[in-house]
Amino acid sequence: MTAVQDAPVRAAVPPRQRRRRRGVPPLVWAFLLLPLAVELFWVFWPAMNSFSLSFTSWNGVGAARPVGFENYQRLFTDPIFLTALGNNVIWAIGFGGLSVAGGLALAVALNRPGRGVGLYRSAIYLPMVISLAVTGLFWRVMYQPGGPIDVGLGAIGLGELQQQWLANPDTALYAVLIAAVWRQVGYIMVLYLAGLKGRDPSLEEAAAVDGANAWQRFWKVVMPQLRGVNTVVFAVTVIDSLRTFDIVWAMTRGGPYNTTQLLSTYMYQQGFTLVNLGYGSAIAVVIFLLALAFIITYLVRQARAEEL
Amino acid sequence: MAATELSRRRFLLGAASLGSVPLLASCVGSGVGESGGGQASATITLQSSIQDTAPKAALEEIVAAYTGPGSPVTLNSVATEQFRAQLSTYLSSAEPPDVLTWYAGSVANSYAAEGLLMDLTDLWTGDGACAGFSDALRSLSTSADGKAIFVPTNYYWWSVFYKKSAFQQWGVEPPTTWEEFISLCERLKARGIHPLTNGIGSTAWMSAGWFDYLNLRINGADYHRALLAGQRSFTDPEVVAVLEEYRRLLPYFHPNQFSWDAQQAVTPMVNNEAAMYLVGAFVTQYFPEDQRDDLDFFSVPPINPGVPSAEEAPTDGYFAAAGSDNPEGAKALLNYLASPQAQQEFITKSGSSNLPTSPDVDTSGFSPLVQKGIELLNSTQEITQFFNRDSSDALQTTADAALTRFIADPGDIPAHLRDWQAAAEQVFAS
Repeated sequence: MTAVQDAPVRAAVPPRQRRRRRGVPPLVWAFLLLPLAVELFWVFWPAMNSFSLSFTSWNGVGAARPVGFENYQRLFTDPIFLTALGNNVIWAIGFGGLSVAGGLALAVALNRPGRGVGLYRSAIYLPMVISLAVTGLFWRVMYQPGGPIDVGLGAIGLGELQQQWLANPDTALYAVLIAAVWRQVGYIMVLYLAGLKGRDPSLEEAAAVDGANAWQRFWKVVMPQLRGVNTVVFAVTVIDSLRTFDIVWAMTRGGPYNTTQLLSTYMYQQGFTLVNLGYGSAIAVVIFLLALAFIITYLVRQARAEEL
Repeated sequence: MAATELSRRRFLLGAASLGSVPLLASCVGSGVGESGGGQASATITLQSSIQDTAPKAALEEIVAAYTGPGSPVTLNSVATEQFRAQLSTYLSSAEPPDVLTWYAGSVANSYAAEGLLMDLTDLWTGDGACAGFSDALRSLSTSADGKAIFVPTNYYWWSVFYKKSAFQQWGVEPPTTWEEFISLCERLKARGIHPLTNGIGSTAWMSAGWFDYLNLRINGADYHRALLAGQRSFTDPEVVAVLEEYRRLLPYFHPNQFSWDAQQAVTPMVNNEAAMYLVGAFVTQYFPEDQRDDLDFFSVPPINPGVPSAEEAPTDGYFAAAGSDNPEGAKALLNYLASPQAQQEFITKSGSSNLPTSPDVDTSGFSPLVQKGIELLNSTQEITQFFNRDSSDALQTTADAALTRFIADPGDIPAHLRDWQAAAEQVFAS
């Protein structure tokens, strides 16, 4: 927003700009430096500690024993870590893909005036209001043997599909995934609805006059205008999928026999349930590096696209 | 332009929230390192992990009635999971809670070895509340360097629980030999009743109950302890024999055991759809009140006649932090909590079937079930705790994974045991 407003001002009165840059008021410095100090102390310093902890073996009591790269070597022979890594890939694709596709479809469907549209929108957004832990508890009840899902399947004649959703290693991860998407989809929908409100309808009219069909109008005219929202949605989705923890913990605790562990739940189990702080930190570092790699790759791509 | 500007800000927000992942991990570490006493404070803090409704209310009442040094006592109830994770932080912080609830055995001993627990020898000598406790409890509460570090206040027994009325209705008797037990399961199954129930979903550790008992019955308590201490291997032929016997039982379990927790597993028994449940005596509080008197139990029948009898009897109680700023008050509170009156009140009000550790508690008013439990433990030759209490929580997680996987797919026992041993070696190495 500020960029748009400042641009004409800069062109019209350059001297005032320069004066402003020369003398930054001390209050502004205070506003900048205080949060920086807080951030450094409360975020960056502990984060750095996590790096140093990952080279030790420590149970939280006494002195940490330095072990070099042992924790990292152990990671790549640890079958549970490799399962968790694989599950994270499934999760990122499934969670990201389904919530974005679902959110976009819902936004397009509900972005037109009509009776009860507001009601639908609120109903779809409502799960977002519930915390992930409560969502997990709610879906655990849904999935339990003889619970609403099994009963529903029986009622529509799909009784042979009934199973112990959260106890079957073939279905557990996807069962949790659906619960997570159920909650996320409303959020993505709201982001896209905001984006759709900001587009220029005259462009679509012009395209329609030129003979573009609805499909072409959507992908060639509307989607390019949603580029900004896409960036936000991508960032939100990647971050949310990497930090997914509570819903898995509430629904399966990584079970049955570690088949639904994500990096975050395995990190928590190692770090906090078993108090292997060194090994847990090593997993946290891996999560951090993965997230960083994702975000940097995307930022670089985005910057290139803007240069063109 | 407006949108990309906005998105950059979101990126910064995103980066900050990513930063908080390692932050979480190091928060715990950053508080440790400072030790030593704070200012002397008059009051006592009791950190409790008791979460079941009735026992929690009972403890609150008992603590509120305490009037000795350090009163009024501040009682903090913390969720058990969180308590377990934070316990080392509590004990090593600059101002630790004075008294904490926890389990006797290997966990308490490992904290004692770090010098984090108060020496409670005073309570075990002279006219201390624990002076008259049994020798088994005394050795359980003594650390490697010979100091008393634990105050056991109650314990419970594990057995196969069943409903008398249901057995009567089906015309069956509790078995006394292993073959009788198997044929009882067979008969019940033929009648469409699930012979056994269990809850190994979110309480995967329940799968270790049968493992412990089969190991105690086949290989004996000495072998069991050595195995859990890492002196034997899970790939031993002895352990293979245990899982082979376990595999024999698997068809008799209620198939929903994979989804249930320990409490939900009671439901089919309440409805007479399942017959028996190997579980701790805490199970009584999960039954509706009008069915509790109907409950009875029998010990897992002997399998190998060559091994001494053994029962699992996990012991609960309290220890005190070495860094407490009011050691006299802490000891006075422990003395009060271990007293016969407080023990009796706690057991009566909490509605569970726990047994008192003090021989001076008048047990004549306790239910026949509890009387029978006391008799069971008094007559057995060996007492063990439970898998996690005889080893560690870390080894328990390896057992959870190995046993639940084995129960879901019991085909290849040696492969399961190889994986289990590999995971256990990581635990013993770290």
